[in-house]
Amino acid sequence: MLAFNWQRELGREGHRVVFSGQAFAMHCHHYNINLQKTLEDTLGPEGVDLLYRSAEEANYANFSYLLAQYSQLKSLKSKFEMAATMFQNCGMGILHFHHIGPQGGQVVSPSSHHVTGWLAKLGRRTTPGCHFTRGWLAGMVGAVFEKPLNSYRVVERECKLMGHRDCVFEISCDA
Amino acid sequence: MAIDGTKIIHAVMEGSRIRESKGIIPLFGVYLSLFSVKYYNRLSFDFEKKMGESRRNEAEKLLVAAAQECGYATFQGIRNSWEWDQIVKPMIEHPEDQIDGFTAVAVAFGWGDLVVKELVPKRSLVIHVGDSYEARGFLEDYGPSESGKCYMLRGVTGAFMDLLYGDDYPEGCFTFTAEESRCRAKGDPYCEFVARKSSG
Repeated sequence: MLAFNWQRELGREGHRVVFSGQAFAMHCHHYNINLQKTLEDTLGPEGVDLLYRSAEEANYANFSYLLAQYSQLKSLKSKFEMAATMFQNCGMGILHFHHIGPQGGQVVSPSSHHVTGWLAKLGRRTTPGCHFTRGWLAGMVGAVFEKPLNSYRVVERECKLMGHRDCVFEISCDA
Repeated sequence: MAIDGTKIIHAVMEGSRIRESKGIIPLFGVYLSLFSVKYYNRLSFDFEKKMGESRRNEAEKLLVAAAQECGYATFQGIRNSWEWDQIVKPMIEHPEDQIDGFTAVAVAFGWGDLVVKELVPKRSLVIHVGDSYEARGFLEDYGPSESGKCYMLRGVTGAFMDLLYGDDYPEGCFTFTAEESRCRAKGDPYCEFVARKSSG
């Protein structure tokens, strides 16, 4: 049984929102999508990389901290369940993990905040657009397998923003 | 009746625990997400850094504009939502009370301890924030700054005035412009945002 209790992890310290003791903020799709568009339009590939790296670093730190708090979670299955629960309960969407090991694997997302938000504001795109989710996954997998930051590379092979049925992410280990 | 921020914070915290089956949080007319402030700070401050000294003003303007446009759409959605009708509207006696409702939602979202210090209808708004996540994050990661660093809150302050005194939505965005006259990141005791009518 999954011991991770996200309802207990989410709370407040005065005016601050905290998740498992770490400062979080609530933002809506307008801000998240505006930020992404600003970075992509202004910096191009460097902006895409910044979106990816920022999500990776933040989630690597969050997830490493969470795994230390929930040290009773030993199996990969329970750790990935915690990841999917966290992603869903932070309003980021749904993740299904397929055969993930230290060398990588595949993740399928049938729904996400960034896809829903981008479609609502800007409609379809011709290139994959889930840079946040790619970075989030890279950070999470690095923490699960206790590798240094930037050990994993995540590529989005299919994206709902381009009309595909699901977003499909391929994870590989660079280290 | 004054706006009771505690009720709004409670509503946001309870609402943010409700997810639909797709893992999306639809609340106050928007899709909400929760994530580390470190992500948002890294995006803003590294974007500014990557733009370089010669494009620093442009970076600042883009970040403030992104936030103002977002604040304008977000709080328009919020004040037209079912939750606003149920929780906030009964507490509103004057149109200006909406600003207190907006700031209470911003506090609930974890953006900082916003307090409205002065509102001159149709002219200006002054908001103080003792602990904004942007100023705190900048100080922690980069040390003291020479200029204000709370781009998101600056844009949002302008958006509050746009919604009250600009043309009808969606034509009124950027009617007002906010400056950050004081910022904790540059050693001030609090961050101060002042919105006034945009020039030109």
